Amino acid sequence: MSQERYAEFLRHRWRIMLGYTGLVSVLVGMIILTPCLGLFFFPGELALAWGVVIPGLSLTVSGLIVWRGLLPRGGATLTLQEGAVVVVLSWLFAVLAGATPFILIGGLGFTQAVFEATSAWTTTGLSVVDVENASRLLLLLRSVMQLAGGAGLAIIMLSALTGPSGSGLSAAEGRADQLVPNVRRSAKLVISMYSGYVVFGCIALYLAGMGSFDAVNHAFAALSTGGFSTKAASIGYWNSPVVEAVTIFLMLLGTMNFVTGYALMHGKFRAVSKNGEIRLQLLLIPAAALIAFFGVTLKLYPTLGLQVRVAVFETVSALSTTGFSTVGYGDWNGLGWLLLIGLMVVGGGTGSTAGGLKQYRVYALYRGLMTELRRMWLPRHAMTETDVWVGDQRRFLQDRDLRQIAAFAFLYMVTLLLGTGVLASYGYPLKDSLFEFASALGTVGLSVGVTAVNTPAGVLWTEIVGMILGRLEFFVVILGLGKVFLSVGRIWQR
Amino acid sequence: MSLKNHDGWPQYVVIVGCGRLGSLLAGLLSEVGSSVVVIDLNEAAFDLLTAEFSGFRIVGDAVEIEVLRAAKTHKADCLLATTEEDNVNLMVAQVARKVFNVPKVLARVFDPRREPVYREFDIEAISPTKLMADAFLASLGKKREAEPCA
Repeated sequence: MSQERYAEFLRHRWRIMLGYTGLVSVLVGMIILTPCLGLFFFPGELALAWGVVIPGLSLTVSGLIVWRGLLPRGGATLTLQEGAVVVVLSWLFAVLAGATPFILIGGLGFTQAVFEATSAWTTTGLSVVDVENASRLLLLLRSVMQLAGGAGLAIIMLSALTGPSGSGLSAAEGRADQLVPNVRRSAKLVISMYSGYVVFGCIALYLAGMGSFDAVNHAFAALSTGGFSTKAASIGYWNSPVVEAVTIFLMLLGTMNFVTGYALMHGKFRAVSKNGEIRLQLLLIPAAALIAFFGVTLKLYPTLGLQVRVAVFETVSALSTTGFSTVGYGDWNGLGWLLLIGLMVVGGGTGSTAGGLKQYRVYALYRGLMTELRRMWLPRHAMTETDVWVGDQRRFLQDRDLRQIAAFAFLYMVTLLLGTGVLASYGYPLKDSLFEFASALGTVGLSVGVTAVNTPAGVLWTEIVGMILGRLEFFVVILGLGKVFLSVGRIWQR
Repeated sequence: MSLKNHDGWPQYVVIVGCGRLGSLLAGLLSEVGSSVVVIDLNEAAFDLLTAEFSGFRIVGDAVEIEVLRAAKTHKADCLLATTEEDNVNLMVAQVARKVFNVPKVLARVFDPRREPVYREFDIEAISPTKLMADAFLASLGKKREAEPCA
């Protein structure tokens, strides 16, 4: 009897989870369709439109059917675990649907197409597409997917359509920080800020001297910290200090926690100046740029202007996990590589569009370490409290927070080593493997040439897993997949 | 729930005390789209919050004005004092009304004799004791109606 009731309960919860997955899929389908708007500006590619319309429309329609058919009337609430299931399933469909156009009209194989779509949704920017010969439609599709993936599917859904009540879904997608104390209102604010950034970015890049198509694509890719470019030489193609300066600003904007941005907009400079992430950046960027300047670029490039520009641009690109580049890294020395790898591992701000370990976690671990050291000098029963500033609020680091962060950091490092090992086992040098996998796991997109069209499938799949784990922050993937397998196993037993 | 179809819920609500009543209200108001901040002395109290809740939590004593300030009480449309201490509720409600000028202040008050005091301060008081007494009496009255000549 009770077993039956439990089965009934599970069925009900799964209807809710699948229903919301359907709802997210409707949204993903529409996002995939949006690049078709670009056809107004390049009508010559109308003949290719079917390759985007078919996957976009079929995902929208099937999502609509599942949503309407399964979700109970009036909606429901998702817990964090159920949100994890929705996120994992939605991302799976998003990657598959996003990969289809590259197979249909891009001439890529299945592995390469899935790689490209994953790289787009996770805002990584590693690419196996030959951008010089690709159609504008596909280039725009990549940029749009990065833009959406940067904001997060849950946030877009909550702000545009309806969605579950409670913060389970957005927290599961790594967007737990809210601007205001209501998840839906917070999502709307984030999307309007993000749209503002994007409009500003497009105009600024256009004024800086890019063509309109390039300006739109690069603004999308910079603010989502994605890093797809429409040129093989990336930002280096323009070789213009103004373009680089604007891009640096956009990358920093993209990597800033939306909560911090919101506080800045409200003129709370005092609180922002105490923010750990801002302080860490104020230390890391100049320090890393100086090291890159004296250690690497000074000996490598002819003019002082170029030396400074490369040092600053590459530093910001790596730390913000964007992955634009102005030069190749083949001729950089070991110090330069280590510097970039270190920055990529640290990564951007929490609650931003960036990836990596996240600056907040690094800052919290540093503060935890300092507290631990100070405690050794204090009497045994002295109480110490470590405060951190988030947005305009002061919070205290609890042991529980530090434990979670430490577990996350450990998992991150282990995954980094394992992934590097897999890449190295395919015969790549250790430093290439480490660089490329750190780039994938941190959703950065800087490449030293490991990722290419003819790269072995095993390497690409390893990087795909790395990108997904890095973007969704491990625990959600484990939680979501675990719950799916448990339920499938239960059905299997019957 | 029928709550959803109703417009005109307050935009920004501060709830003081995250007990059974406070947590229930916080979840319901969050679900209908209000911005909700809950304050409680004890962090463990937030475990009572349901999955519907998507607001902020503040650990602190709401009797201290800094805590109310951190909750941005001056921007609140409504403050609900739901702790189990009548005196705390009265004090918090009064501070919200007088210092922060919150337009609507509701407080839970167990002792019905204190209600006039609350009214004097322009605070709406809801007394569970009185509500229960009314319910008892209503039930008795119904009984008498059902069998008139007992």
